[in-house]
Amino acid sequence: MSASLSSETKAEPNLTPLLDVVFQLITFFMLVINFSNENYDQRVRLPIAGSAQPTEEGQKGVSEDRLVLNISKQGHLLINGQDLPPHQALEEVRHQATLVRRNLDAAGVKKSNDLPTTIILRADRDTEFSNLYSLITQCQASGFRKFALKAMSE
Amino acid sequence: MEQSLEIPITPMLDMAFQLLTFFILTYHPMPSEVQFVMNLMPAAPATDIKAQQPEAAEANPDVPASLKTLPTTLRAGEGGTLGRITLGENEIQGGLEALKRELDVYLTDPTLPFEQTLIKVDPDLKYDALMRVIDIFSKAFSDAKKEPKLAFAELSAEEKAAQ
Repeated sequence: MSASLSSETKAEPNLTPLLDVVFQLITFFMLVINFSNENYDQRVRLPIAGSAQPTEEGQKGVSEDRLVLNISKQGHLLINGQDLPPHQALEEVRHQATLVRRNLDAAGVKKSNDLPTTIILRADRDTEFSNLYSLITQCQASGFRKFALKAMSE
Repeated sequence: MEQSLEIPITPMLDMAFQLLTFFILTYHPMPSEVQFVMNLMPAAPATDIKAQQPEAAEANPDVPASLKTLPTTLRAGEGGTLGRITLGENEIQGGLEALKRELDVYLTDPTLPFEQTLIKVDPDLKYDALMRVIDIFSKAFSDAKKEPKLAFAELSAEEKAAQ
């Protein structure tokens, strides 16, 4: 009488802890993912400033209504996927101001020369002041008064 | 007879890995951005740096007479870098550290009650250099416990030529 020499042993790794860790990772990435990056053009390299305030939601002086202007080092306005040269950029600012006024009228807000929208200015560190200044003055002429000049922290 | 029910979790793990791969590939680490928030009013004409009686000050519909404006001029150097800095009527020697020291004097001297600054900027100056100056002004106003009030203007061709 011979005994069976081969006895199959199955190794079944426990997948439950692995699944737990994977769900932890998924939860982490779901919480930190930000799909609203289109306004923050990575082609613009911001200058560095040490004493500027961190960007926070509901920050004093920054209204919830914002208009992000990305300005390249050539002075072009990068907005809504377009690369606008300076003269078209000024036209676009006027157009945006018109849209804001139209929205305010539709919301029944009392008419005023000053617009409540905050201009988020993201200019490349090598942008010349002349390009920036023409855009700022056009914004002021269109009624925008609140500005947030963006920079990188040190 | 007991029967144990084993739920196959391998397909669930496969799906979890698919989701994880999606989130990893779409994740972009955002650099921390900071900002200077300011109300930029149209440029006001500069007043004399010596303190004046409010009724003697130049009338300006945009700026109340009680506010005193500290005029600052930034000229561009080689390649758009920061060149000469003029604060009031004085040229600042020694770069941004000297500018900070002078600003501390101007903003804390009770006989010189400056509340806001008009910065005239060379059109060729790079934004990076301007931002470093704004940084210095922000620190100086903060140290003097005053709210930073800045206005910008572009240096005209005549002013730029008069160096």
